[in-house]
Amino acid sequence: MADPNGAAVFVTMLPTGLLVVLAGVVALLGWRRPGLPPSFHRWLGSIALVGAGIAAVITFNALKHTSGLGLAAYSGGVVADQFEAFATLLLCATGLVATLSSGAAGGRLGSRTPAFQALVLSATAGGTVIAVQWEMAMLVVGVALLVTSLVGLVALEKAAEAPGEVAFRSLASAGVALALLLYGLAVIYGATGSTDLAATRDQFVHAAPLEGLGLALTLLGLAFLVGAPPLHRWLLQVAAVSSGAVGGAVVSLAIVAGGIALVRVMVSGFSASLRPWVVLAAVLGAAASLYPALLSLVAGSVRRLIGLGACLQGGLLVTALVAGGLGRDYEPAGGVTALLFALVVFVLSIQASFLAVARLDADGIGSRLSDLRGLARRSPTTAVLLGLGLAGLAGLPPLAGFIARILIVGSVVSAGYPWVAAAVVLASVTYTVPVLRWIATLFVEDEELPAVVSTTPRLAGVVAMACAGFGIAASLVAGPLLYAASVAAAALR
Amino acid sequence: MSFLAQTTTTTTTTGVSFPTVVYTALVWIALVFALVVLFMPDATPEHRRRIKSLGSSGAGAALFFAVWALESQIADVAVGTGGRPAGDLAERHNWLSSFPLASTYHLDADALALAMILMVAVVFFCAALAAWRNERHVKLLTVSLLTLETAAMGILVSYDWVLFLFFWTLPIAPVYLLVRAFGHGHRARAAARYAAGSLVSAGLLTIAAALIAFQAGTHSFDMGVTPQTLPGSGDAVAFWLITAAFLLAMAVVPLHGALLDLEEDSTGVLSAVFAAILPSLGAFGLVQIAVGFFPKVAVGYSLFFAALAVVTVVWAGLAALRADDLRRLIGHVGTILMGVVLLGVAGHTTISVTGIMYLLIGRGLAVAVLMLLASGIQERTRRVRISQLGGLAWQAPYLSAFWLLASLSAAGVPLLAGFTGNFLVFTGSFPAHRWATTVVLAGTLLGAGVLLWTAQRIFLGSSRDTFTRVRDLGPLELTCLGILALVIVVVGVLPGHFVGLFQNGAEYILFPGTS
Repeated sequence: MADPNGAAVFVTMLPTGLLVVLAGVVALLGWRRPGLPPSFHRWLGSIALVGAGIAAVITFNALKHTSGLGLAAYSGGVVADQFEAFATLLLCATGLVATLSSGAAGGRLGSRTPAFQALVLSATAGGTVIAVQWEMAMLVVGVALLVTSLVGLVALEKAAEAPGEVAFRSLASAGVALALLLYGLAVIYGATGSTDLAATRDQFVHAAPLEGLGLALTLLGLAFLVGAPPLHRWLLQVAAVSSGAVGGAVVSLAIVAGGIALVRVMVSGFSASLRPWVVLAAVLGAAASLYPALLSLVAGSVRRLIGLGACLQGGLLVTALVAGGLGRDYEPAGGVTALLFALVVFVLSIQASFLAVARLDADGIGSRLSDLRGLARRSPTTAVLLGLGLAGLAGLPPLAGFIARILIVGSVVSAGYPWVAAAVVLASVTYTVPVLRWIATLFVEDEELPAVVSTTPRLAGVVAMACAGFGIAASLVAGPLLYAASVAAAALR
Repeated sequence: MSFLAQTTTTTTTTGVSFPTVVYTALVWIALVFALVVLFMPDATPEHRRRIKSLGSSGAGAALFFAVWALESQIADVAVGTGGRPAGDLAERHNWLSSFPLASTYHLDADALALAMILMVAVVFFCAALAAWRNERHVKLLTVSLLTLETAAMGILVSYDWVLFLFFWTLPIAPVYLLVRAFGHGHRARAAARYAAGSLVSAGLLTIAAALIAFQAGTHSFDMGVTPQTLPGSGDAVAFWLITAAFLLAMAVVPLHGALLDLEEDSTGVLSAVFAAILPSLGAFGLVQIAVGFFPKVAVGYSLFFAALAVVTVVWAGLAALRADDLRRLIGHVGTILMGVVLLGVAGHTTISVTGIMYLLIGRGLAVAVLMLLASGIQERTRRVRISQLGGLAWQAPYLSAFWLLASLSAAGVPLLAGFTGNFLVFTGSFPAHRWATTVVLAGTLLGAGVLLWTAQRIFLGSSRDTFTRVRDLGPLELTCLGILALVIVVVGVLPGHFVGLFQNGAEYILFPGTS
């Protein structure tokens, strides 16, 4: 790694700084100038996210010839490498989708639109801190910033009491997760004597029970972010009561940031030392994939089905961690590439699904099976969007979720865990069955109801279709995306 | 199957190099038409007519490329490459190369694939023609049929595991939707059972593919570089995973329930397509991949396949004897012929595998004709129970004639497509499994007898008053059934046109190391 210097500090912290500053500007303008139209805040937020994304792209290209070694600052506490650039770009894209589609929440946000934009920016900033950190304190700061922003997003909606209650419950769950993470890191610090994640892996080779406990607690704390069971209830509750736009923003930002945190901490951080405990990740990943899949068989509403789908994707991400190049001279294996590729396509499917729910909200259509009967005739665009989102979550071809699952299964088998691969396959198969039933309800069953004239803002509709469309394109032209993921994974040494 | 070094992606017959895209066109042309249809309105009869035109055109274009590929390979038999992969039409490009287990866009076809391509293309073209009579969910039917055709073609020419799995999983959603939309009876249950079975099959194949790619040490999903042996018990594990997946798709006893329900509870062209195509794709996979990749393991378990063939044929024959539902009866006959395919696999000789290729063509065409006729009978009489039918020959002589032709072909009567396949399979398998061959032969004769007995019950006897207004086949039905019948007769009369191709392909499957 290069020596810390001013340029390193600037490069590593530029996206985070940009996002935090503009989050403050948006919040301030919303407070001081309440008369400004929501679109103004939306575009200001978009500019911040695009700016941070451009910075990430420049970093990605600038570090292309550094063989994975990046720029370090603050004694190696933060590092700008190609993984960080990839992660930041993905976070910004996720935040941008949330921002541009926020109009779909309509009256449920109302005058709180500036606060929504500011919280999306601060949550994204929290994610970028997680991406850039290589030190325990920074990790906790990033996770704390992220979860408080996300809880705030849930609490913003004022249409019903339920979101407020869910926000409170989410806050309690986030507190538990943060506590688990903190205790886990504290135990590891006690065992290794270092808060530097890169340094711990060299001292962390004896697989003592205490170290195992620390790893287990850390893994559980991070699994909360991706909605992997056992700490998944917050995600289901958000999916059940939040508007589609807000739910999509919260869930997708949490899963992206959670996936990045898992990679940064468990692969580039503990790496070789994790090997004796990789079975733990395998068991958690398998259980976290199977449990929501089984629950989906009796899902009574499309919101719950999507929520369970998001939990399933979280479980798959944990599963891919099993093949994270653990113990092979710090070289990340296919699991990390598969995880990063999957992260992109999973979040696309999640956002497309939630934006379809946003359209249902806007058009006054319920989310139960009986409400959606024959939706393709009443509102074809919403039906297509919802169908593509659900198919993406289930990993049906030609959507990219299918390729992601193949890559995960391939890498897990390569890592010597065929039973985990079998669990992944079984979970995917199980989840597909109810998804097919719901898709058939949308497209096949006839219901003599009048056609719906959609009131969803055009921009939100375009963004939703772009998400769904990219889900197909990413499958057929998966090469460039996989290349970017592999370059980012190669930086994790 | 290490023929990668021979793979070429260009043709140089004119001195100018052009990329070879015949297989790409064959696979994707139907989907291109489907995408166009997807964005067309279907509110008026005129709109629906346009959609049907495009559906037929898409299937017709695929048929054109299928005949092109087949004739091109037949022409190459003289130089020894016809019927084997890595010919002039092979396509191979990098796809997912930035992954430790790389994947390629590798399309290729051997004789077995080409035989299936011909059958699939003809059946889909005739199904698209037959679908002109449908007025419900026209867009859904057309798009789903064209997507199914793309999936079937993709399965047949994929030489990369990821690509294969992509196409293997692709039909699940369209088939599920079609059964839910057009089925009758317990259609929801039939659709769910099919989907569950197919997903399990895809899951088994996914694990097998990962296992092969990893254990082979090639770090590639490309089937062209997969070695014939894996370390330890890897090849046996992979073989059984693959075999289980394809047996599930073939619907052989005892895994036959889901597909029989699907065929029984579907209507119109769908039952024809499902019965003709879906089990055949499973048979293709069993022979091409399970036996083709692991011929030594397959030989070791030939007794298992022989036993399974006997059980399948005997069970399906007895079930056909007591079946009263027309579609279920045809389904049982199709299952009997799948038992014959299993016998061919057990025989493990060039002759028996060559016979499988003929058999799959003959079976697909005959079953498609019978299913289309069953739908025609149900449409005209509002009855599907054999015991409620009778004397239809007087009102519908053409319909009766086509039924008889297809029944005779399924029974293996000379000069029809089914004969060559049955004859070669029984001849090729007899030396290795005499008792099994004898029993399977008896079961096949039982199936043939049931079909003819059914023909007698449906068409002969005195004309019934309730059926006096039944009309015969119309021009559209005559056209699509005529095309299928023509191919049955041509393949039956001119089996020699294909024999060099098929023998080459069979030798390659069984002895891939030889030239």
